[in-house]
Amino acid sequence: MLRSVVARDDAKAGAHVVADGIEPAARLGIYRNTFASVLTNALRLSYPAVHRLVAAECFEGTARLFMEEQPPQCANLDEYGTGFAEFLARFPPVAALAYLPGVARLEWAVNRALHAEDAEPLNVARLAALTEDEQARVRLAPHPGVGLVRADYPADAIWRAVLDEDDAALASIDLASGPVWLLVHRAETGVEVSRFTEGAWWFSAALFAGRPLHEAVAEARCTDSHAVLAEHLAAGRFAGFSLAETS
Amino acid sequence: MPKIGHHPIPAKAGIGLRFPHHQAVADTRPAVAWLEVHTENYMGGGTPLRCLEAIRRDYPLSLHGVGLSLGSAEGLDVAHVERVRRTVDRLEPGLVSEHLSWSVVGGTYLADLLPLPMTEEALAIVCRQVDQMQAYLKRRLLIENPSTYLRFRHSTIPEWEFLARVAGRTGCGILCDVNNIYVSACNHGWDASAYLAALPPSAIGEIHLAGHAVRKLEDGHILRIDDHGSRVAPEVWKLYAEALARFGPVPTLVEWDTDVPPLEVLIDEAARAAAVLDEADRERACAIAA
Repeated sequence: MLRSVVARDDAKAGAHVVADGIEPAARLGIYRNTFASVLTNALRLSYPAVHRLVAAECFEGTARLFMEEQPPQCANLDEYGTGFAEFLARFPPVAALAYLPGVARLEWAVNRALHAEDAEPLNVARLAALTEDEQARVRLAPHPGVGLVRADYPADAIWRAVLDEDDAALASIDLASGPVWLLVHRAETGVEVSRFTEGAWWFSAALFAGRPLHEAVAEARCTDSHAVLAEHLAAGRFAGFSLAETS
Repeated sequence: MPKIGHHPIPAKAGIGLRFPHHQAVADTRPAVAWLEVHTENYMGGGTPLRCLEAIRRDYPLSLHGVGLSLGSAEGLDVAHVERVRRTVDRLEPGLVSEHLSWSVVGGTYLADLLPLPMTEEALAIVCRQVDQMQAYLKRRLLIENPSTYLRFRHSTIPEWEFLARVAGRTGCGILCDVNNIYVSACNHGWDASAYLAALPPSAIGEIHLAGHAVRKLEDGHILRIDDHGSRVAPEVWKLYAEALARFGPVPTLVEWDTDVPPLEVLIDEAARAAAVLDEADRERACAIAA
């Protein structure tokens, strides 16, 4: 059945199927069609801007090849499609749309944030109650609804303009404006996407990866690391912390 | 979070709640007796879960799973079992159901409810996994008969007998999908009434109703496809009345998943199911009085 449903090869499964007036291939085809339509729909829901950028027919064809190469490994389809951006990046028919993988990476981060587990944001008072030595050793844990995305093109502007169907905004985007450093966060009101400087983004990445606070601050390539940290704390982008061992 | 409290599912008509109707149900609180959702749609957090938690304070809720793959020879996916348990703990449903099918092989999820070979070996696997799941959730599961488009040559047990034996061995209940019985009966030349007659009435915990499509193949043959994309077919309403006459009053759900219509259409279908339930009650009362 696996070969029949995913790889469209009915030879083996067909031999086990009662023909009963209707060809086994036609019977197996019903399941294959469901597999393709369910997963195409799951990808369309997770990648709505990519869907619009490439047009429905191309999206379906691309999705069909993607699901053949990377069928789902989990029955929770909100988690399906993690490798789609990388697939697009090496898929010749969409090579002309160089910004597409970046938009897909952003959409995946948005999708992850949308479906992330609920968690109480870290109460800043808990950090304030630590000694100075302890504060330096803090390893922060990101909120499940937070993600970081880097793209070579202004993926956030493209994503927004496409979903808003704002042709004027889309036309005014400068594709040569360089890379964008993005933070995706599910706030109370919905998922927010904000731009950071490269330095603040790397500093944030170190924090979200659980680098001890004093190391992350010492290595920060931005001058406003304390302001960035304060912004993350105030916006509820951490869910907890632990203390690094003293060396 | 305070516990919502377990509300039993009444022997009345409910509807399958899907995302497009969240807002309308939250705003209008329609007069349906209960709601059912797909377990897999509420495994994360965020807005969908919060909306459902608000809605479910006013309605008995049933959780209907599509991804457990109870018939997989390789055993249950532990991570998915745990996701189901957490969702059940959080939403405290009145009923928890899954399918007599499989969908996972070699760790790959085939995104459909695939038919099992109806063999003693498959029966042992399904029973073992239903036992495991019931023990893990510490509650009774309902198992639904699937709609099928093919049968395997090496099957030796009729589907109705297979289902009855799973219920007998594990103590699970049966979610009798009347549309699925009709669809499979047409596709395989079975007698739908005989299928109903073979199910143990005491095990029936829920009934599903939905629309199906009629597909004409290139060679002229017809296959009925369980697409949940239209109103319940007249023949299925007839079979539903027959099921109620056999099983007594049973919680009944109307599902719609493809081309989801305005909420009113779904409520209208549920009202029709409620009328059939009432009529069955009257006939039963008359029979007792006579």
